[in-house]
Amino acid sequence: MKLKHAIFYSLVLVMSLGSNRWANATLAGTAATIDTDRQALKAVHRATTPHTGYTVQEIASDAVAVREYLSISGVVFAVSWAGNVQPDLTQLFGSYWAEYSAAEQKVAREFGHRRRHVATNNIVVETWGHMRNLRGLAYVPSLVPPGVSIGKIQQSETATRIP
Amino acid sequence: MLKRMKWLYRCASLFLLVLIFVPATVSGAGQIPGDCNNDGIVTIAEAQSAINMFLGLTPVASCVDVDRTGSVSISTIQKVISSFLGLGGGSGLPVNVLPVTVNGSLCSSATSAGYFNKPCVSVTVCTPGTSTCQVITDILLDTGSYGLRIFKQALNVPLTQMSVGADELAECVEYADGSSNWGPVQVAGVILGNEPAVQVPIQVIDSSFGIRSRGCRHADSSAANAGFTGILGVGPFAQDCGDTCASSASNGNYYACNGTGCRGTALPLASQVTNPVTLLPTDNNGVLLQLGAVPLGGSPSLNGSLILGIGTRSNNSPAGATAYPTNSAAEFTTTFNGVTSGSSFIDSGSNGLFFSVPASLLPDCGGSNSGFYCPATTELFSAADTGAFGSPSGTVYFNVGNFNSLTSTSNNVFSEVGGNDVAGGFDWGLPFFFGRNVLVGFEGANSILGSGPYWAF
Repeated sequence: MKLKHAIFYSLVLVMSLGSNRWANATLAGTAATIDTDRQALKAVHRATTPHTGYTVQEIASDAVAVREYLSISGVVFAVSWAGNVQPDLTQLFGSYWAEYSAAEQKVAREFGHRRRHVATNNIVVETWGHMRNLRGLAYVPSLVPPGVSIGKIQQSETATRIP
Repeated sequence: MLKRMKWLYRCASLFLLVLIFVPATVSGAGQIPGDCNNDGIVTIAEAQSAINMFLGLTPVASCVDVDRTGSVSISTIQKVISSFLGLGGGSGLPVNVLPVTVNGSLCSSATSAGYFNKPCVSVTVCTPGTSTCQVITDILLDTGSYGLRIFKQALNVPLTQMSVGADELAECVEYADGSSNWGPVQVAGVILGNEPAVQVPIQVIDSSFGIRSRGCRHADSSAANAGFTGILGVGPFAQDCGDTCASSASNGNYYACNGTGCRGTALPLASQVTNPVTLLPTDNNGVLLQLGAVPLGGSPSLNGSLILGIGTRSNNSPAGATAYPTNSAAEFTTTFNGVTSGSSFIDSGSNGLFFSVPASLLPDCGGSNSGFYCPATTELFSAADTGAFGSPSGTVYFNVGNFNSLTSTSNNVFSEVGGNDVAGGFDWGLPFFFGRNVLVGFEGANSILGSGPYWAF
């Protein structure tokens, strides 16, 4: 009886984790999940821009602009944002959220800083900027397509605030 | 007859000199009685002139009789002499000056451990429309934000809660380091220097208020947590949010809270948390931050001044400064090491110069100081700053020293602190201000430097 219960709850847990991943998946998700994000963030599609090796899809809500970086094979390997506030990262990070959330709470507070770097085994999250233009970039290193430079994306292709 | 007048005059002067030792009950607000040329200072000549009015020897002038009673009272003379002696309002400084200490007496040791290059001021906060006031120190002076925020624990005068219909107004402010401030928005009477009090919406930082929004899930709960008791944002905009929050309820900043929770709300500009300097009757077109030079190797602390207004008085002339217009996020352009960034900004609340360079040029310190630069010897660099719309341009020189060596001393104030900026922008933090007059021109306001928003130096 106890074993049966354990199996049942394990199955429920696995199913809910799986469904959660599908419902929220953005990082590591497919192009279709960008539309899920757009709806969840109450955003509109602003632009689709092709680059060598990937495509950038930009969506924007009233408060924040978000760019999602989609590889040629159809996987979202990075997201960036800019706005008055951060977007809902639980939505954008999908299955990586829990890992990020645990890691960010362990990052030591450094007074006087206007930037932060959080890295886990699977995801890197950089935030920077200031009031009226808070910016960020998150990426999954293992999903970055060969030949694509995160440094270049960070320098010149992250989301810019809605003027 | 003349002799008798002189005798009377001497007696009166002596009497007044005795009076000045009685503690003056000078309110911090309002025009300084006796400051007839409106330069923020009462000179000996102005004090003499006011005494003459008191004695009936000359006609009463409105710059002495500021209460418009038709005569000059003994209490007015007391105020005039107190101002002359530097006792007026407690500071003796020109009306538009706030002393600034970097890691000095205006910073609290309870919030400043390990916090170098921390600029602090004090503000006077009052129950709106009353003389029930308190002075609060350990207020971080921040050109990178807009508006005043103070921890609830530090406030002991009642303020007026702002409402949205039947609900209470609250705000979440997020910072780029992942920290955030949550709490109700309340109207306070705020006195800066010895300027008149302004009635202004401020944020009372209180992580226990209502139900925090998602962006404020880790909101700072105490001054020690945040590294400051309050923060005074005097950047080039009036409101912390602006048009986005005026037009959309989904702005992520402002919330209407009641017993059941908090929902996003749109908020008119006038109700948003506002840079109080913009509301002053005069001296409202910008600020000038004056901090002295810091020798290489650092100093234990540094004193300076935040001077309100640009070109409004003899003490805030922008002569010699060049204005660099900014975009709608207070950003302009910096070109350094061949890389041009249009999202550069000047931020007294950042405690270093943050920019990206290859490790071959400036090695990272590694270890617990990773993110800061640790060159073997202090190196001099230059960068070009350009206005957001392409002009003007100017060269800025700065030093970067070995952060490990600097912070192994007992000093707290350093001009040569450099750190990595993750995205190729240039954050001109507090070291930029050392030995340089930096002016912040407010949006929509004019000075002889032009129309804001701009940075000038």
